[in-house]
Amino acid sequence: MSTHTNIELQARPLGLGARMVAPFGALGRDLASLYDVLKQCVHHLMRGHLDRKATVEQAYAIGNGSMLFVTVTMTVIGMITVVQSGVQTQRVIPELSLLGANIIQIMVREFAPTVCAMMLATRVGAGIAAEIGSMVVTEQVDALRMCAADPVEYLVVPRFVSSIVMTTALAFWSLFASLVAGTLAANMVFDLNYSTFVNFNLVTVGDFIVCLLKAMFYGAAIPVVSAQRGLTTFGGSEGVGWATTNAVVHSSLAVIVLDLFLSVFGYLVFPPV
Amino acid sequence: MPIHFSNLHKRFGDKHVLRGVDIEVRDGECFFVIGASGVGKSVLIKHLVGLLRPDSGDIYLDGSEVSRLSEKAFYPVRMRCAMVFQHSTLFDSMSCAENVALPLRMHKQLSLEKAMIEAERRLDQVHMLEFAKAFPAELGDGMRKRVAIARALTLDPRYVLFDEPTTSLDPISARRVDKLIFELSRELGVTSIVVSHDLTSIFSIADRIAMLYQGHVRMLGTQDDFRSTVDPIVRQFITGQAEGPMEV
Repeated sequence: MSTHTNIELQARPLGLGARMVAPFGALGRDLASLYDVLKQCVHHLMRGHLDRKATVEQAYAIGNGSMLFVTVTMTVIGMITVVQSGVQTQRVIPELSLLGANIIQIMVREFAPTVCAMMLATRVGAGIAAEIGSMVVTEQVDALRMCAADPVEYLVVPRFVSSIVMTTALAFWSLFASLVAGTLAANMVFDLNYSTFVNFNLVTVGDFIVCLLKAMFYGAAIPVVSAQRGLTTFGGSEGVGWATTNAVVHSSLAVIVLDLFLSVFGYLVFPPV
Repeated sequence: MPIHFSNLHKRFGDKHVLRGVDIEVRDGECFFVIGASGVGKSVLIKHLVGLLRPDSGDIYLDGSEVSRLSEKAFYPVRMRCAMVFQHSTLFDSMSCAENVALPLRMHKQLSLEKAMIEAERRLDQVHMLEFAKAFPAELGDGMRKRVAIARALTLDPRYVLFDEPTTSLDPISARRVDKLIFELSRELGVTSIVVSHDLTSIFSIADRIAMLYQGHVRMLGTQDDFRSTVDPIVRQFITGQAEGPMEV
């Protein structure tokens, strides 16, 4: 975790929750400022403070800009998963009629939202941290504050909203892309009929709810973690580099940690068939 | 005194930048803060508008202690006390007029139309009206600085903080900026605090000067006091000697 001094967040008195965890060293300070950024995002949204134009622009940058990247990744992962799973299944039983059903379930519950979010954590997280970090070191964030513009409201909230929406949309797009690629791979490698592979018998509404929840939580975590890294940038262009690297690492870590908790939640509330 | 820094301390990690700074700024004067790079000049003035918070010490503005205000409570302070940043810090995605209109829209909640009319008036004052629709990337450093000054003046502040206003400007643009700062003080009665190591500016428009050295005020006085000082450290700085007792 970074030990850089956070000029922007340092200047704002932390809330009660933030002050309670602040004493636990650098990790505590990072968690406190993450909580502070998240709290402020929710606070502004509850008061309807949302720049719609900026949100649409960010949605385009996050969603449309990531489309090709996510599609290629999920297509390859879909194909490889089907081939690997098919080969391993055949070692036990020569019957592959349930291959599609099982793979679709794991894609819905796990791979589509999580792998998609990991991809977005690298591309979107780095972009947010670099952009906000550059604004911090060139004093543009200070200039915003001098104009009575709250940097979190102005810079983070549009990214927060658009990331939630576009991560969710891209997660379902990822599911579709991996499913199409997997179906083609199953047909080409194992000679499975399309109708045999595309089998939703094991997928329940609960699986889709888990997918939706994961995508939304990941979509919220990536901009909050990355923006917090950007706002804590200190020390010129080298600082922006560190902030960007940290944003990618910590956003990916946030996705993995959230995956653990949301998977446990999913297995308890919506157990797989 | 309208502005008073009292026993101000500020650390960044292990670096103790300000070690008990005491400065009083008089109404309507053009006050210069000078010193070597990294000595804490910009850090000092950022405390006045809440962009940084002191570790200890007090800051008084018009008799009120301001260093412990919340971010929101600083908004009225920032209306009275504007700041021109070192690199102008105009927002690249906005035109010059939109940049100047932003404080009016945010602080005074003016409509875009009204704010733009006022912004154009301000740009005219700094002879930049013809560039109202231009974007910052299309302008030179001197012109960007003038737009930044127009943005700072748009709320009619009583105090303006200038962070190295002539750095990276050619000599002619630098003297134009000096003239603008001087006119603000003399014609509009604005109190200016200017962070600078531009000796030409210092010895042409400063009413009083404070030199920071090793976290303290090394010397505070008028241009004449500085010219006639026998303090070897101050002398080395104002004569720009590479060799001398000053530790940088």
